[in-house]
Amino acid sequence: MANVKRRMIKVALAGNPNVGKSVIFNNLTGAHQHVGNWPGKTVDKKEGFHRVDDKVIYIVDLPGTYSLTALSVEEMIARDYIIYERPDVVVDIVDASNLERNLYLTMQLLELGANVVVALNKIDLAEKAGMRIDHRKLEEELGVPVIPTIAPKKKGMKELVEKIIELVEGNPRGYSGKTLCYEPRVERFIERLQGEVASREEITKLLNPRWVAIKLLEGDEDVIKKLSEIEGGREVIKKGMKLREEMSRELGDPEVVIADARYTVIKDIVSRTVGELKRLTASDLLDSVLLDKYLGIPIFFVILWWWFQIAFIGSAPFCDILGDGFAALGEVLTGITGHPFIDYLFFGEYGIIQGIGAVLSFVPLIMLLYFILSLLEDSGYMARAAFVMEKAMRKVGLSGRTIIPMIMGFGCNVPAVYATRIIPDENDRMIAILTNPLMLCGARLVFFSAIAAAFYGAYAGDILFSLYALGVVLAFMVATILRKTFFRGRASPFVLELPAYQKPSFKVAAVRMWDRGSMYLRKAVGIILIGLLIIGVLTATDAETLTFTTDPERSLVAAFGRSLAPIFTPLNWDWRFVVAMIFGFVAKEIVLGASAMLYGAGEEEIASRLASLYNPIVMYGYMTFILIYIPCIVTIAAIRQETGSWKWTIFAVVYGLILAYIVNLLIVTLGHLLLG
Amino acid sequence: MSRVDSSTYILASILSILYPLYGAIQFYKGAVAWWLPWIGGEEIQLGVKVGDAYIPNIFPDPFSGIILIIIGVIFARSIYLSKRNPGLADGFLFVGWILASMMLILNLVVLAADILDTYYPLIWGGEIEEPWTLGSDPWGISPHLILGIIAAPIYWKIKYLLKQLIP
Repeated sequence: MANVKRRMIKVALAGNPNVGKSVIFNNLTGAHQHVGNWPGKTVDKKEGFHRVDDKVIYIVDLPGTYSLTALSVEEMIARDYIIYERPDVVVDIVDASNLERNLYLTMQLLELGANVVVALNKIDLAEKAGMRIDHRKLEEELGVPVIPTIAPKKKGMKELVEKIIELVEGNPRGYSGKTLCYEPRVERFIERLQGEVASREEITKLLNPRWVAIKLLEGDEDVIKKLSEIEGGREVIKKGMKLREEMSRELGDPEVVIADARYTVIKDIVSRTVGELKRLTASDLLDSVLLDKYLGIPIFFVILWWWFQIAFIGSAPFCDILGDGFAALGEVLTGITGHPFIDYLFFGEYGIIQGIGAVLSFVPLIMLLYFILSLLEDSGYMARAAFVMEKAMRKVGLSGRTIIPMIMGFGCNVPAVYATRIIPDENDRMIAILTNPLMLCGARLVFFSAIAAAFYGAYAGDILFSLYALGVVLAFMVATILRKTFFRGRASPFVLELPAYQKPSFKVAAVRMWDRGSMYLRKAVGIILIGLLIIGVLTATDAETLTFTTDPERSLVAAFGRSLAPIFTPLNWDWRFVVAMIFGFVAKEIVLGASAMLYGAGEEEIASRLASLYNPIVMYGYMTFILIYIPCIVTIAAIRQETGSWKWTIFAVVYGLILAYIVNLLIVTLGHLLLG
Repeated sequence: MSRVDSSTYILASILSILYPLYGAIQFYKGAVAWWLPWIGGEEIQLGVKVGDAYIPNIFPDPFSGIILIIIGVIFARSIYLSKRNPGLADGFLFVGWILASMMLILNLVVLAADILDTYYPLIWGGEIEEPWTLGSDPWGISPHLILGIIAAPIYWKIKYLLKQLIP
């Protein structure tokens, strides 16, 4: 009966992923463990017991997290458990060989007011790397017990358990968890808000006032929600938002400012507790250069430029061989069926064979893009690239990793949409997918470069550049709007584990290239076949007699274009532009060829023919429409596949059309107003 | 500790001048060709004429010019740090050499691709429109290739970093 009366000690294990948390959990619980799910979540919940003498310690293994910002399910679980379940002790397992990054979570646990014991794990690896950590000094700096451990060898487990019991049963050494103060300009805001929070008993009996103040300044939506449900919480939120705005005006984005301030405190602690590195490793040196404050981004652009040059120029002959091969095949097969309609549909200039050829001719480019991307990923560089771009991208609500699919989108939106898989956060990824079609892809460039040269002469380069810039600016704007509406929250924080550099494997890159490339191939060929068949039939069918025609002006597609033309009259388009735009739905390269066909000119003469019919403002407006409106059919298929939702696929199409119309209308209206 | 000797830094100094020099000319030529044709000066070259081609051939491309300038700045940074922080200086030298080698490879790939693009119709018995010549190639032997070759000896001084990175 004595055991029943004894209080069970409740312990939570917290820590970054891959710090050896599971090994410590297994060491402590042995066979006395159970694996289930956290309530309402698909995240594993591991719990178990440790018995020492007559004491029972109940241990919960919290999900591995880098921080407690509540931007992911794992972080929410860990945070809520500490707040609401109030474990007697939180054992924070810290990777000693990566102390600076790991102390970020420690600092947040202390801010939360948790009763923390630090398990300084992997101490052997830290020593091997030349680090000498003074754990007594660290204990003094943090105000909590610090126990060096080597989990696989079960070293430090006994001491850890003793310290847990000591903390719960009287805490004779008086550990209290130090308040780690930020730099004065940040601390000033925290203190002002902390006072307000501390005066509300309803809040303080549940939450630590300093933590609430910091979270409100960070704009933590979950904390705001929680506070709004507590008496007096709304007044605190109001005050918090006011101070947050003030802080934002004075110091910049509070979330970034606080994260920076936190790292400053951590760096100070590390500098006082860790002995000098024996030597910088090659990896450290390379990181110092590749993540350099001034040269990190330029180096990234050098590598990107190289990647695209190699991919585009290197694949060009193979793309040409495929394109020419299919063109020749179409010519050879023309007349083989004896039916003009079927011949036109399959082997004509805009027939199925040509369409498949157009799509397949992109395969070498896409394969080469993927091959080099895989090499860069394998080498460990891509994680660094995302890191250097993080700050700039976060300002527009995008994750740092979005830069990679965005830049790929300048080549082709299809692989770019698939490349968003490198973005781990689902909201970030959805925004990246939905904004990617605004990147000016190579297919649109075919039309733009021909038109720009004819219409704008010496300024053609500027016009092209302006279209690239417009696409990027619009993508940022749409991302900001999506972030504030459908995908609320902030871009996921960038606590990124930089992988070790390694020699990339050509074999692995080739396999990955094939996996990713063949996915494009399957989708592209399947969808283009259906799309081309539909458009082919509509173009080859006389609108009045419903018989075969080779005159596009008499075709169903022309009738369809004419019926839609009134909608586009404010943009100064005639029906041919409407039809060419519809052709572009299949593949954007077709806009040029379709325009040539409809205006009765060759692809070489179409630009000058258009120049005689339209003024530069109308043409620029049309180009912006082609830039922005619905992605091509293959991109739409990729969006459907990657979002897994027809709703978001339709959204991508509809918002593109509406945005394109608005921008085109603005250009034409303002252009004519300003330039006459 | 740095394992790079002064002769390597002399080579890096030369590269830190040549890369920005060729880069600036290429940027200028590109800007003129793309955006400011009325200024003139597209014919500027800084090389030896061999047949109908210049070696190196500075083709007009502002972006390529910027890339060359950045590589030059990286070499310059390694020299700046050579006394203050020799270890980090080696890091910049290493990255400079990697980028220089990447540009060299790019130029070789471009040449191979251009030659293949010209002659592939022969595969199925077709005719070629115009034969490939060094002079007719938009890139030709560009500063990317020549400067990459000049930078190549740096490898022997920084290979210890490469071996540490990829044992």
